[in-house]
Amino acid sequence: MTALLAITIIAPLLAATIGLGVRTRTAVRDAITIAGLAAAAGSAIALLVGVAQNGTVVVRVGGWNPELGIVLVADLFAALALPVALTIVLVVEIFAIGQRRTAWGANPELAGPLLGVLTAGVSLAFLTGDLFTLFVAFEMILVSSYVLLTHQGQRAQIRSGMTYVSMNLLASTLFLFGLAFVYAATGTVNIALLAERIPELSSGVRLGIGAWFFVVFGTKAAVFPLFSWLPDSYPTAPTTITAVFAGLLTKIGIYSMIRFHTLMGMDELGPIFLIVAGVTMIVGALGALAQSNVKRILSFHIVSQIGYMLMGLGLFSAAGTTGAILFLIHHMPVKTVLFLVGGLIENDQGTSSLERSGGLASRRPLIAALFAVPAMSLAGLPPFSGFVAKFAVISAGIEAASTPIVVAALLAGALTLLSMTKIWLGVFWGPQNEDVTPVPTAVGNRRTMQFATGLAVAGTLTISVFAGTLFDLSQEAAENLRTPTNYIEEVQS
Amino acid sequence: MILAHSPIVQLGIRAASPLAIMVGVYLLFAGHNNPGGGFAAGLVFGAVVTLRTIAGIQRPTHAIQIIAAGMAVVVLTAAAPLLWGDVLLDQKVLSFKVPLLGTIKTGSALPFDIGVTAIVVGLVLSLLDGLSATSLTNSPAETEIPS
Repeated sequence: MTALLAITIIAPLLAATIGLGVRTRTAVRDAITIAGLAAAAGSAIALLVGVAQNGTVVVRVGGWNPELGIVLVADLFAALALPVALTIVLVVEIFAIGQRRTAWGANPELAGPLLGVLTAGVSLAFLTGDLFTLFVAFEMILVSSYVLLTHQGQRAQIRSGMTYVSMNLLASTLFLFGLAFVYAATGTVNIALLAERIPELSSGVRLGIGAWFFVVFGTKAAVFPLFSWLPDSYPTAPTTITAVFAGLLTKIGIYSMIRFHTLMGMDELGPIFLIVAGVTMIVGALGALAQSNVKRILSFHIVSQIGYMLMGLGLFSAAGTTGAILFLIHHMPVKTVLFLVGGLIENDQGTSSLERSGGLASRRPLIAALFAVPAMSLAGLPPFSGFVAKFAVISAGIEAASTPIVVAALLAGALTLLSMTKIWLGVFWGPQNEDVTPVPTAVGNRRTMQFATGLAVAGTLTISVFAGTLFDLSQEAAENLRTPTNYIEEVQS
Repeated sequence: MILAHSPIVQLGIRAASPLAIMVGVYLLFAGHNNPGGGFAAGLVFGAVVTLRTIAGIQRPTHAIQIIAAGMAVVVLTAAAPLLWGDVLLDQKVLSFKVPLLGTIKTGSALPFDIGVTAIVVGLVLSLLDGLSATSLTNSPAETEIPS
């Protein structure tokens, strides 16, 4: 079991190393990247099965005890999120292989290895048992994502890349300060030890630390008012890159928040979380409605959806945390698929602007079908996974009698449906635009891209089918986070 | 750039390079129990190659390959203990007696540190390549400014 945990970090990193250092044919390099990512995803799935049956797996890196060294902890929460995230990266890499022979594709020499480093960072962020290693994981992700975002060197990419990197570096700096505060107050950065010591601090210091880390993780998660870097930068990158970012990066911020604030018992911060969550939802959904480009609409929806997860967390109840975890698991693949479909649209129409495309439903019914399923899921229509996740979060809100946030959530849901309809009307219905210039793509490459997108849609449907099991697992994960004694004992024993 | 035409700077950097490299090697070995380590050593080596670049003296190339080799060493030393059923990044310490020097302690942390050094040096080299630092050694009149 401990080896599986290590493989999820080591395999993508090793694949990146080989891809970077060995000059071979593109096909060989692709095979290496795919093998590395597949090994990581496979290990993550095996890890989930193991953890669900036998409980938390703890690795003490280098054999040091948690007071001194680094621990990697695969509790149920981490084990649930990890396979979803790693499978997404694998599917996107398949899409990338199809897309890269077009002008819109990412540069394979760089994108493959960097995606490996990013994936290793993601695994590390999910599995780490101490805050400093979380910081390192954030930096691994930030550095590789910055290069992925700007490596094509177009003006718009560099410009928005600057905003992206400045905002994220600001968050990293604040994170480092926060680490110093935490260490000064408690003498440790190990999460299990912190879960023991932070509740003993005076309430001012404790809530100060909680609020500080809310800002740090909130910037990473793009909550209101710290989201401005996201809708600006994401749409400029190649589709595959945006798809991975959309599925994973903000979610790591919210994941860290769920882990940190729940384990440390920051219940008093709940009202602030809920206010921010409500505003984030509405502002994101309204922002999406004002856009006229598929990728920009989808980018604003990332912000809006973050609000739901924050709402689940901010309720600080068993049902709320369960909802947040379930929403996280549902949201990662759905968002990625939508961006992949956005890539297919862009490939077919030569643009992702709503005004300049149209009539895709009759000409490319497959793309229309691939869009419809995740779009309805995102809007929260039954029987898709989005319905289950939204229902869990909103019913937790009703249970806690927080009327304003429930109203905000329902309103944001309606607005989401509206902007999905807007995409549908603009891209799939209406007359075919005469002067579309499709990106020249070989049939085989287009098939690869469609296959990858289909695979991802199948993945989101699988989540809908197993929603019951996932709900139970999320409930157990939430229970473990809310009663940290288990976590503390398992890490220290 | 004036630096490339100044014999004093050229000779100074040439003479200082081996000494700086000695400091780097010392830091690399000292890092196990004292301040220093692979990263610090890499920065010292990086300073050497930067100085040599701006003075127009020969320096290593193949930045990406150096990074890749360093990363390979790091990842493999980190993962190797798994093969023996130990945890990730576990280390073995070897100590042996050498005449004159006394007891020497070393271990599997050493290749890890060397890998880190290679990554840092490679990064500095690729930064210099990216900034086209070699073109700085040409005088401004000779350099064509791309429009």
